[in-house]
Amino acid sequence: MLPPEAAELRTRGRWPPPEGPRAAIVGSRQPSPYGEAVAEQLGADLARAGVIVISGLALGIDAAAHRGALIGGGATVAVMGTGVDIVYPAAHSKLAEDILAAGGALVSQFPDGMTPRRHNFPARNWTMATLSDVVVVVEAAERSGALITAEAALDLHKEVMAVPGSVFSPLSVGTHGLIRDGAGLVQNARDVLAVLGATQEVLDDPLSPPRSLGIELSPGRDGILSHLSDVLALTAAEIARKLQLPVAEVLGRLTALELDGAVRRHHDGYVRALRKGQKRA
Amino acid sequence: MFGSVQSCLLVGFDVRTIEVQADIAHGGSKFFLVGLAATSVKEARERVRSAIKNSGLEFPGQRLTVNLAPAELRKEGSALDLPIAVAIALARAGKTAPPRTAFLGELALDGAVRHVDGVLVAARGLRGLGFEHIFVPAADAAEAVLVDGLVVTPCTNLKAVIGHLLGIETIEPYISSGTEAIPDTGAWEHDLAEVHGQEEGRRALEIAAAGGHHLLLSGPPGAGKTMLARCLPGILPPLELNEALEVAQVRSLLGELPGRQPLDWARPFRAPHHGVSMAGLIGGGTGLAQPGEISRAHHGVLFLDELAEFQAPVLQALRQPLETGRVAITRSAGSVTYPARFTLVAATNPCPCGWAGDSIRSCRCTPGGIESYQRRLSGPLLDRIDLKVGVRRVKLETLASEPTGEGSAAVRERVVAARRGQIDRQGCLNAQLKPARLRKLAALEPASRRTLERWSEQRGLTARGFHRAWRVARTAADLEGSDQIREHHILEALGYRLQDVAA
Repeated sequence: MLPPEAAELRTRGRWPPPEGPRAAIVGSRQPSPYGEAVAEQLGADLARAGVIVISGLALGIDAAAHRGALIGGGATVAVMGTGVDIVYPAAHSKLAEDILAAGGALVSQFPDGMTPRRHNFPARNWTMATLSDVVVVVEAAERSGALITAEAALDLHKEVMAVPGSVFSPLSVGTHGLIRDGAGLVQNARDVLAVLGATQEVLDDPLSPPRSLGIELSPGRDGILSHLSDVLALTAAEIARKLQLPVAEVLGRLTALELDGAVRRHHDGYVRALRKGQKRA
Repeated sequence: MFGSVQSCLLVGFDVRTIEVQADIAHGGSKFFLVGLAATSVKEARERVRSAIKNSGLEFPGQRLTVNLAPAELRKEGSALDLPIAVAIALARAGKTAPPRTAFLGELALDGAVRHVDGVLVAARGLRGLGFEHIFVPAADAAEAVLVDGLVVTPCTNLKAVIGHLLGIETIEPYISSGTEAIPDTGAWEHDLAEVHGQEEGRRALEIAAAGGHHLLLSGPPGAGKTMLARCLPGILPPLELNEALEVAQVRSLLGELPGRQPLDWARPFRAPHHGVSMAGLIGGGTGLAQPGEISRAHHGVLFLDELAEFQAPVLQALRQPLETGRVAITRSAGSVTYPARFTLVAATNPCPCGWAGDSIRSCRCTPGGIESYQRRLSGPLLDRIDLKVGVRRVKLETLASEPTGEGSAAVRERVVAARRGQIDRQGCLNAQLKPARLRKLAALEPASRRTLERWSEQRGLTARGFHRAWRVARTAADLEGSDQIREHHILEALGYRLQDVAA
């Protein structure tokens, strides 16, 4: 597969983007809260350092990276698998507008009016690698599309980096595989900046983990919280077993935490929310 | 010469009395059958003629007119054979039929009286209309005798029936063979004691049983959704006599009652395949509609596995019965109503491939695919399901060990107590409480109300969803023996609202 020339791209917004190193942040469409928080943090920190954040406007990690870049006040580029006039998923039309408003761009190698088609996305992933200096994979399961982007980057002799996760999480199997094969390990934006050769120190404390921001708990309701993970969903039954409490009681206490925004419920169980206002998955 | 007997016609669960009149007049040998008889009833002429002849009785060689009254009601089926033949015989003998007595049965050409469907329905209806004595096919006598206060004469052949009526040889009334036997509550094919883990599913099942709530189980293939569902009948109390009779009535209409022991005290469990047609699930067929799966599940459990695979119109049609506990079906031949008060247990995968959220296998579905799958499930039907829980696969090493959960018998004890409390308080189960009565009978403590309102605001609950959570909380309180709905009851109830989470 030949990477398309940048000239062939259909674009909306400011193109080419401002001068500066470019980093693609890609990953699962169904990330854990951990992955989502990392992508957002990386996007924000890199944008603050003047890096153009590139991603694919998809659900999950992509959206978090774009969002982060906007929070960081930087330009971000969405490489789309549809025509530039069709935002997919439709739920991201607001995000696309925000990207354009912030001086970013939507680009696509496909003609206007192209609807989402399964076989177009791998080609899009190649384009993303072409446009970037480094590809950072945040969370990727075993056969994730993000791994195609990483492979493309390798073929194009670009840097590939990956964010480690829990060894229990299926969402980290792909990223851990990349690290095993020699991808750079990303703990924070500084790791990425080093690879990009951007030496300026812009981060206050690059090693600090994401803080949980302002979650206020109703009194006496945080006993369960320490048993929850921010990566792996646990069911009420599993927590009840750990705490030796009736499942009905645990379910009620989890609901109370959910009301406070301290936990999030997925189809397969509960995870600890990392930051307030993170929208429900 | 004139003779007349009473019989009846079934319109769904409704019973209409029919007067069968026979008149023998001078004239050529003719047999007229009038009174809006359908083809199946017109054929009665031939059967009756042969049956009378072959019973050693003389068929009148004159002008014979049989009228089925009232004339405006269309008559279907073969149950009028016996009353027609009896009316003719009585006309010839110049006798009158005994009062408050009805006849039902199909005739074979040799005069034998054959089984007809719906004898239990007819017997209950006729008793309600003041009848005291019923002549039914011997094969169906066990059904008719279930009805209190009804003398049942079992008919094996036409000759014996006429002989009895003319006082030649008496047929002894059918005596009940001890149907009031204590229902067997111990032996269930599926017991909760065999379920590994699944504490959330078990708890939801207990609440569903205790309050009559509908339940949705969502989880990957092989997580044990079907096993859980099959355990539900075993934690429900056995049927009351009245309920058992209604269940038997549906089976009677379908001709599925076993002859010897027609009453079954076990709650029905129906699990139609997802390819089921509208007529199969809701009821239908040619002529007057027959009861469907939802009526067979009356007073029991309707289990719909792979809910998303059912045809959308079929699922939509479930809405009325879910609300009202009955279903009305209109066909060209007329409209019928059948009971359909069942507990719905539905099971579904979280996404088309089934593995979304699984801890080991990863999901291969597109977000759009998951969304459209979820949308197929959402909407009005899901809005009527009170409890929704995720079921997770149990680890293999757990499966190899002895399950440690409670058995069905222990759970049933709590369920029975909770249900009794509800019936004493309000005369129905919590799931059937209308909002007005809910406000009156299930007042919320201030803290409980605040929590429920906060959640509704956060998650945009509909009024219906608000009341559903309220009812579930009432049941959780009942299981605990608490008069008050405390905050933890509301919080638990909200924990079963998986639909408030988008993914």
